[in-house]
Amino acid sequence: MDNPQGIRGVVFDIKRGVAKDGPGLRTSVFLKGCPLRCRWCHNPESQEFEPERAVTTGELCGMETTVETVMEEVRRDKVFYAASGGGLTITGGEPLAQPAFTTALAAAALAEGIGVAIDTSGFAPWSVFEAVLAAADAVARTEQDSPHAADGTVRSKLLFLYDLKCMDGARHKVLTGVDNARILDNLRRLDAAGARIWIRCPVVPGLNDSDTDLAAIRAFVAQLRHVERIDWLPYHPLGVEKYAKFGKPVPPGLP
Amino acid sequence: MATDESNYPARMARLTARKIEQTKAKLAALGTRDEDDYGLVLPPASFKVELPARDATGQWSGPRAWAANFRWLMENHPCYIDPDDAIAGRWMFMLSRMRLGYQLSRSNFAFDYSHLEPEQKKYDITPGIGKDAHFAPDYQIGLDLGWGGLLAKVRASRRTIAAKPVFTNDNRSQVSNGTNVNIEPKIAGSSSVLTQGRAQSAALADSAYALELLDSEEQAILGVQTWIRHLAAAADDRAMSEDDPARRANLEETARTCYAIVDAPPRTFREAVQWIAVFNMASRTYNRDGAGGQLDELLRPYYERDKAAGLLTDEDAEFLVFCLLLNDPHYYQIGGPDADGRDQTSPLSYLILEAAGKLKASCNLTIRVWDGMDRRLFRRGVEILLANRQGCPRFSGDKALVEGFMRSGYSAELARRRIAVGCNWMSLPGLEYTLNDVVKINVAKVFEVAFAETERPEDLEKNYVRHFRAAVDVTARGIDFHLAHQYLNEPELMLNLLSHGPIEKGMDVSHGGATYYNMAIDGAGLAVVADSFGAIEERVVKEKALSFAALKAAVAANFEGEEGARIRALVQGAGRYGAGGTAADRWAVRLTEILRAEVAGRTTPNGFKLIPGWFSWADTIRFGKAVGATPNGRLAGEPISHGANPLPGFRKDGALTAMAAAIASVQPGYGNTAPWQLEVDIGLANDPDAAEKVMALIEGHFALGGTLVNINVVDAKKILEAHRDPSKHPDLVVRVTGFTAYFNSLSPAFRQLVVDRLIREAV
Repeated sequence: MDNPQGIRGVVFDIKRGVAKDGPGLRTSVFLKGCPLRCRWCHNPESQEFEPERAVTTGELCGMETTVETVMEEVRRDKVFYAASGGGLTITGGEPLAQPAFTTALAAAALAEGIGVAIDTSGFAPWSVFEAVLAAADAVARTEQDSPHAADGTVRSKLLFLYDLKCMDGARHKVLTGVDNARILDNLRRLDAAGARIWIRCPVVPGLNDSDTDLAAIRAFVAQLRHVERIDWLPYHPLGVEKYAKFGKPVPPGLP
Repeated sequence: MATDESNYPARMARLTARKIEQTKAKLAALGTRDEDDYGLVLPPASFKVELPARDATGQWSGPRAWAANFRWLMENHPCYIDPDDAIAGRWMFMLSRMRLGYQLSRSNFAFDYSHLEPEQKKYDITPGIGKDAHFAPDYQIGLDLGWGGLLAKVRASRRTIAAKPVFTNDNRSQVSNGTNVNIEPKIAGSSSVLTQGRAQSAALADSAYALELLDSEEQAILGVQTWIRHLAAAADDRAMSEDDPARRANLEETARTCYAIVDAPPRTFREAVQWIAVFNMASRTYNRDGAGGQLDELLRPYYERDKAAGLLTDEDAEFLVFCLLLNDPHYYQIGGPDADGRDQTSPLSYLILEAAGKLKASCNLTIRVWDGMDRRLFRRGVEILLANRQGCPRFSGDKALVEGFMRSGYSAELARRRIAVGCNWMSLPGLEYTLNDVVKINVAKVFEVAFAETERPEDLEKNYVRHFRAAVDVTARGIDFHLAHQYLNEPELMLNLLSHGPIEKGMDVSHGGATYYNMAIDGAGLAVVADSFGAIEERVVKEKALSFAALKAAVAANFEGEEGARIRALVQGAGRYGAGGTAADRWAVRLTEILRAEVAGRTTPNGFKLIPGWFSWADTIRFGKAVGATPNGRLAGEPISHGANPLPGFRKDGALTAMAAAIASVQPGYGNTAPWQLEVDIGLANDPDAAEKVMALIEGHFALGGTLVNINVVDAKKILEAHRDPSKHPDLVVRVTGFTAYFNSLSPAFRQLVVDRLIREAV
């Protein structure tokens, strides 16, 4: 790659001082575009890959930008990451659906000693996960002498916030628009590769919150070795009014 | 045997309930007030104040008159006794506000400074002339000497000064005779001893003044001692009629404690607490002084001694501190380094913090955060802040404060001893005279003047600097004027007693008595000006979306009409101070450089050191009324921004880290503060790491150079409810700025400001 800092991606929001979505205080970068259509999605404006305008207010959602431009914003809170064990969260949309941008952004942050969390649905080719892990390892190699990487902790600064939504493949497809086979396969391989993982499960009343559903998730996670925690995320109807704002129909079956 | 009456939680609950009743009564009698709770209660309705030293216009000045009035107030002061309380007394009157025509923003002053007023008005300067207190006493002096010892010290000093050859008895009565202000020297032309001849008559005047001052100090002490005796007797009387044995025992102990400290220095923890409370109440009664001290260190010897002797349990100590904090929300610091750089945290620091945590009332406790600190104290403070949601404790940043004060030319040792004892301010207990937090330059007004005369945007900064310099100049001359006359207007009879120098030298602390003079000048309205400069840079200079002339016309017309509204939307959309990396952010830093250069870079004409800060206290509404529309889209008369804070809405996400970084970037850097005022609804109730995250936020701010965090963790729903219907949450306490207050005691306009500042959905 000639100039990874110049790689362009479509970002629709950057939030600073976020205390969720990973450890400590974080800057969350929201990438636009997602291959899933989860019924409970609370960021419907994140689904399309192209920038779009809200039909009600005309406000533009999404802007093409560069890794370096995003890093300028990310760097501002370095002192707070250090004090809290926080860092950058790359979220979306589905960040791995903009693989080059996400990989370069993660590498840029890691190279500066900033921890990175990638908030993913897991629905991406395995090669994309491989690329992210390889980029982290490359940072570790190229910066062996740098103060950031000297302790060999680059990999430990990379965390995957990995969604598990429903273990039943057929229902997963109904609820999210895609099958979960690839998601589960990627998770097994990511675990085998020794990556740090936090599992996150949106719990939506009536859709995926039966005892059987939750037990199935627990059973699957129990087989994995590198999962540090499971967060059960209660559903909140924040997204509902955003559907109207962006001219999209509200998905059926929500509580 | 612990009966209910000696059961501390039950007593605390009853005391808190009574405090809420007293607050309701105050609200009914005095109306809403945008200031500290102060701890005062209403006097009995039948009580009549008949001050002996008042002239026909309701005024008085000079040591003798102040002493006479103060002594009268003390000797006639109603004695508040609560059988649940371990401390006798509440204060009820503020002598300094009893002069006719008193205004919070403008003190009575017996000397004419009309030569300064046109420029003060031009720049909306709050000059601090005639303002009192706002520096720190050294309680150690009083705890060591007791009232009897202080009296002996005053008398000994008087004898020494009277024995000096310069004194002649004839001069004595000429300085002031109490009720008659006309004999005081006016600024020009006077027959007073002060301006007769020169050197010798000045020396005579000084000597005569010294004797009058020391005589007055004696009167003040005698008044306080009488009041303590009255408190003791009242507690005794109340004990006689008390049936409950535990309450009766408490009242008898209260009486014994009071009698013990009439003359002698306190010997026990309880006596020390009562002594501090008496000084506080007396000093409040005199002139609202609310500066406390390093409470854990002041009380530690008594605590350790009594505990070793088996006279005191930790529960007793905590309850006594609870009563002290309930008695009056003086500003205390706990933790932090001692003069030699060792951490002062002790078991008593924790007891004080826990007592503050149990106090469901206004409380001003500051934890000093530093590298060598006991982190458990810091963590516990944050946990209490999160759990109680009453804006207490708050946190000061040692590193930047010490570095800053050293930049002002002081040793590290002194810098460490300069502790948080006021709204926004630090002070060296007993050593320093400062006028902290009472001298303000409304920079939004300065900007308005500069903007009005500017034709080309490239000239605006230059014009702002020129007018700001002029504003500092007249402010500095006002400070000189104050320092030259305040001792005759209103001597610091109470704070002199706990300062090193005034009694020994026979000089008021405002007039040569103090060891150091570090005069504070705070700018107010930073964000309004930074956003205005930023909007001009973005919209006019860079984007050329708007001509400077069109902007000026729209501002002059208060953004009225369709075109005005369009321009207003345009400038309001510009990047704000606080967002990070905006033009306005850069301007905020530039404005701080200008503040530093013009304030710290010079002295007053008489050579007094000036220290800059950014702080507006609770005066944003008043300051805003003086300023027309501004180029950031603010309408005429709307409040200016608060302290160093960005304006509400500075960022879509309201990011706390962005705010923390912005405020750290505008620190004046000479030992005074630009506090971070934070109201946040933290939706972290179930996050086990909530305390860690808030600690990281505070530590990050201090690592970037921050000095003081006045923080409210609030329940947004509750505060909005209380705003709609104040009676619904009479117990809701918020940190308004440096001080906390009952939310329902604030005016509706001020409550609105607190609500507007609230950052929701953050963290």
